[in-house]
Amino acid sequence: MNPQLPTPALPESGWPNLPPPRLEVRRPAAPAPPGWVRKIHWRTAIGAILLAGILHVTATLTVPLIGPGTAYQKLRELLPANTMVVVPPARPGKQLLPFLMPDAYYGVCRYSLASEPVTVTAPLADLGWTLSLHTPHGDNFYVIPGQQQRPTDLTLVIVPAAEKSGDLIPAFTRRPPAASEDQIASPSEEGLVIIRAPLKGLAWKGEAEAALARAKCAPGLKP
Amino acid sequence: MPQFGKLIVNLVAIAVLGVGGGLGSAWYMVEAGSRLTTRSFGPWTTWIAAGRPDADPYTRAHTARNGLLPITSTLELSFYAKTDSDRAQLQSACDYAITVEGLEGAWWNLAAFDRRGGLIPNGADRFTFSSDTAMREPDGRAVIVVARDARPGNWLPVGAGKVTLALTIQDAVMAAAVHTGGNIKPLPTIRKIGCR
Repeated sequence: MNPQLPTPALPESGWPNLPPPRLEVRRPAAPAPPGWVRKIHWRTAIGAILLAGILHVTATLTVPLIGPGTAYQKLRELLPANTMVVVPPARPGKQLLPFLMPDAYYGVCRYSLASEPVTVTAPLADLGWTLSLHTPHGDNFYVIPGQQQRPTDLTLVIVPAAEKSGDLIPAFTRRPPAASEDQIASPSEEGLVIIRAPLKGLAWKGEAEAALARAKCAPGLKP
Repeated sequence: MPQFGKLIVNLVAIAVLGVGGGLGSAWYMVEAGSRLTTRSFGPWTTWIAAGRPDADPYTRAHTARNGLLPITSTLELSFYAKTDSDRAQLQSACDYAITVEGLEGAWWNLAAFDRRGGLIPNGADRFTFSSDTAMREPDGRAVIVVARDARPGNWLPVGAGKVTLALTIQDAVMAAAVHTGGNIKPLPTIRKIGCR
């Protein structure tokens, strides 16, 4: 058994009041930028960034105007105005437009509202069939999908947006639309009507052709 | 002489940063898109505002530059895939199995194109399958095999070169979900079977 030895008490005030030691971490020196970077003036850098922004916005906005050509520009040369043209299913090298769904008939009409409204009659025989209206810039401002068992063909009248609003045309000259037809206001004077008729198979080819033969696109208020 | 060198460096910096950066970033945003303009689901990418009258300038430029005529994305979605589900480029030298599952109630169409949107010539004169034409497995799935040589079942032939698959889905509810960032029906998987 060890005897209990007395522990001498340390005087609290005897310790010097020193700040905690500072650890010095030696970081490797950052690599100096290459000489040519140091030659670039800060004003040049800011100017380049501003120029990049201006060119970015300008290029994005002007691509539709100066690019290889919108779908409308490509089709404008091929299509007579206000006439429905039925295009057979696409084959390699004979495509109306890129990425257009193959194995489908297309009824295409380039409408012009310069002189009068245009009446469109379209059969929407089945699922997958669509009737769509597009501006020359490609905006699809109206679309109606086909449904199974749709009993009748669809008739709609495309009118200029101003006429639809009724602000610019005197009321007595406006003809009220028939109950069976819709009036669609076109935001542009020209545009495209596209009827897409996908084929379920070769056996349905004749049926699709017969249905599309009823499709019409004609100036005036009657098809 | 050092001043002349400095001037050259500054001119080059303006050309590279300003012209290259501005046009390059515009090209990327118009061709590939970004999270602002597109949504991706596995290998499939769609332009959110395609065809819409209120589309953003990038989507408009993309549509115009590629000569597209999309139906508004509020009704119909067009998805494009340039890779398989493992992010490998789609090549006509390889065979792929595309499994369409869970798109019940929606009308869909799957077609193979080259990178510019042209149809790829093939002896079978077959370019597409749809929900109307694809044969189904007993469990309801449709498995479409993209390959150069004939395969049993739904064979989608392709020729030489890189392939872009285009998937069109007509489903207004799904289109709304894409716009709002919600969950959508599962899109087809693209599995590489093998390469020659």
